[in-house]
Amino acid sequence: MAETVEKTEETGLIAKAKAFASTIPYNKIGMKDLLNYEKTPRNKLLAVVILAFLAMFVIGVATYLMHGHHAYNVTREHPWGLLIAVYIFFVVSSTGLCIVGSLGDVFGFKDYEMISKRAIFGSIVTIMAGFAVIAFEIGHPVTMMIYNVLSPGLTSAIWWMGTLYGLYLTFMIIEFVFLLKHDMKNAKIFGLTGLLVGLAAHSNLGSVFGFLNARPISNGVFYPTYFILTAFITGIFISFLIMGWRYKMEFPENAKKMLTGLAKIQGLLISILIFFVTWKMLTDIYGGMPNRSEVAVHILGSWTFWAEVILAMLIPLYIILKDMGKNINGMVWASASGMVGIFFMRYNLVHDTQLKPLQMMKIREYQLSPEWVHYFPSGTEIMISLGGLGLCLLLYYVGSKLFNLDADEQH
Amino acid sequence: MARYGMALDYKNCINCKACEVACKEENGVLLGADKHRIWVGANDVKGEWPLLDIASAAFLPSQCQHCDAAPCQEVCPTNATYYDENHVVRVNSDKCILCSYCMNACPYDARYVDDRTMTVDKCTFCSDTRLARGETTTACQNTCPTKVRTFGDLDDYDSEISELLRTREHFSLKANLGTKPKLFYLT
Repeated sequence: MAETVEKTEETGLIAKAKAFASTIPYNKIGMKDLLNYEKTPRNKLLAVVILAFLAMFVIGVATYLMHGHHAYNVTREHPWGLLIAVYIFFVVSSTGLCIVGSLGDVFGFKDYEMISKRAIFGSIVTIMAGFAVIAFEIGHPVTMMIYNVLSPGLTSAIWWMGTLYGLYLTFMIIEFVFLLKHDMKNAKIFGLTGLLVGLAAHSNLGSVFGFLNARPISNGVFYPTYFILTAFITGIFISFLIMGWRYKMEFPENAKKMLTGLAKIQGLLISILIFFVTWKMLTDIYGGMPNRSEVAVHILGSWTFWAEVILAMLIPLYIILKDMGKNINGMVWASASGMVGIFFMRYNLVHDTQLKPLQMMKIREYQLSPEWVHYFPSGTEIMISLGGLGLCLLLYYVGSKLFNLDADEQH
Repeated sequence: MARYGMALDYKNCINCKACEVACKEENGVLLGADKHRIWVGANDVKGEWPLLDIASAAFLPSQCQHCDAAPCQEVCPTNATYYDENHVVRVNSDKCILCSYCMNACPYDARYVDDRTMTVDKCTFCSDTRLARGETTTACQNTCPTKVRTFGDLDDYDSEISELLRTREHFSLKANLGTKPKLFYLT
């Protein structure tokens, strides 16, 4: 008797879920629809680039499956390489897009509602790309899923970061579904929860580095807070790129208004970032503290640091200040530069943390004593990273065909 | 139940590397994993002939410090790194996901990837090998010709190591990080 009741309840739940799923608006598409895009040189080029990146992903993953971590240039002294940087790049993008998406549907800024759906969908595809990349960096991803649950390391920043990001992805998907259904009340509830969980996850990612007592250059409160700031900046850069692509650089009035607003916010955020980075560098160098001061000086001498400063900070800030944020087309290009700069920012963060050998007098292993740990990504690492980007772009393209990502008419 | 530690009379070290060899032999460390599980740090002699700074040519044998507050244990997301019943810091290779966070977090560079299991490995104070067979010494200690190492129970008042730490001045490496290492360097 009880069994029958349970079964009926179960079928009831499944039926309810099915009924709910059937109310989610989406376009029925096939392969033909995916291949049916406007055949402009710009679109064709992008299609070829995405396919090339995906092919690289397949080759990279195959190489990794055959050779394991030996296919990467990571070493015992430099155990984290490009894939960790690219994972951070994607999840920062995701958190940033979630913040931008929340401006409209969580905080109620009407001007920004037009990008909510795109930004939230973008946050889903970027984090999925991030997970796809990190799956080939973590040596045993299946073991991770099992023992993350069975024996959680609650003092580990990586545990919190991973678990919270898993939750965050769930909330983002639910929020996106409610946005598609135009159920703004529920979208707001799940959007706010997702945003808070996402921010917690992201600052935990910062603390993965901030908690490293052994690495004075990264240790401290800086990264957990700086990650939130740079996430917002990254989200705005990607918003410009998304909108620039959507409107082919000919923006309607409402988009112009929104993007000018975003550019002004971006001006403020980049200024704060420059202020943060300046003081981080000065406090690192000041007083000559061993293992911190000389590392900071070394960072100042590396071209990747200046690529980060020029591409992600100076160029976008100049474009914003020149026309008080009104040069939207210029900002789209500055955002492309900004994203390259943000990539270097992530790469630097990971590499700089491991620059200084821990020594322990292993002089002969490290050659001469104050030598730096060298690292340059291998072909496999580069292929998987570009593959992640290809995956991200492909998912976004499929999503733009599958769902109506523009704001609903009622707005 | 013990709390194992090691005292090193490091000034007696002659850099013969017998400890490295014995460790590899006992614990099956793969070829090529040099200075991974245990190592002898060597400073080059400073100065120019004839004004050589002879005191600078010091040897510093070292390995995992088996910290009482081990950063590698704190950062492990799956608790693969744990303290065993003898307070030895160990890795459960079934749980290790090879995220390499412990390798980044260990201030002593004492962890490495074992290519057979593709998990992180480290010194275990011979817990799986010699201690499991009922012996009371580690391979590195047993082989040392100048008796640099003394291994034993820190909680046992009468043990040789407790006696040494009571009677000799000693220091720990990077003690300022609060890791509470259980390797003690006798001065």
